[in-house]
Amino acid sequence: MVPVQWYLLLGTAVFCIGLFGILTRKNALLFLMSVELMLNAANINLVAFSAYWGNVTGQTFSLFTMALAAAEVAVGIGIILVLYRNFDDVDVTLATGMRW
Amino acid sequence: MTTKPKLRVGSHLLPGLAAVALFVVIAVAVLRASFGDPQGFPSDGSITASIGYAMFNLDMGSVTGEGFLVAFEIVDVVLVAALAASVLLARRERDGDVVALLADGGRQVHDRVTGDEERRAAERPPESEGGDR
Repeated sequence: MVPVQWYLLLGTAVFCIGLFGILTRKNALLFLMSVELMLNAANINLVAFSAYWGNVTGQTFSLFTMALAAAEVAVGIGIILVLYRNFDDVDVTLATGMRW
Repeated sequence: MTTKPKLRVGSHLLPGLAAVALFVVIAVAVLRASFGDPQGFPSDGSITASIGYAMFNLDMGSVTGEGFLVAFEIVDVVLVAALAASVLLARRERDGDVVALLADGGRQVHDRVTGDEERRAAERPPESEGGDR
């Protein structure tokens, strides 16, 4: 079997790619993709330790994480639509006020 | 013509160094930690079926796991809330009229056909109130 370290390393890499995207990009759609990468890195860890302990709990929990990610994307897309409608752009640095 | 995406190198990439540094720190920590051999799943019995049983608190799976029925119901509510929230956010209001017909249940078309438009317009709050403009 593959040692659990390699799964953790993969999860770390995916998480840090997502973090890199969030820190360097301004496009709201790329922000959403980066957040998805970070969430899926957590899923990789859950599944890895599920196999490590021979217990199905981690895999079941990662399914719920995916459902929450879907809900988050639905709200995120709605926010991006409003952002585009009000600023004619999806640049996250434009929206600086709480209301307009 | 197709174009290749190009990575613009510049000072805007500097904050990304924090992510690279975090990767190095976690990678060193993970590789230095000692984990035992993974137990793995039993070769007999279906993992997929066990996940299904664990999701509904049924104690019939061949692989051990906890029950997730409460989490299942909570996720159900959260998904419906997210659906409602995304519809609310995506609804467009312009000049007091609801442009997205889906969002007002076809009320606007009904009023136009039945001639109730003036009556509704009188009841409507002034345009200075509310809206997402």
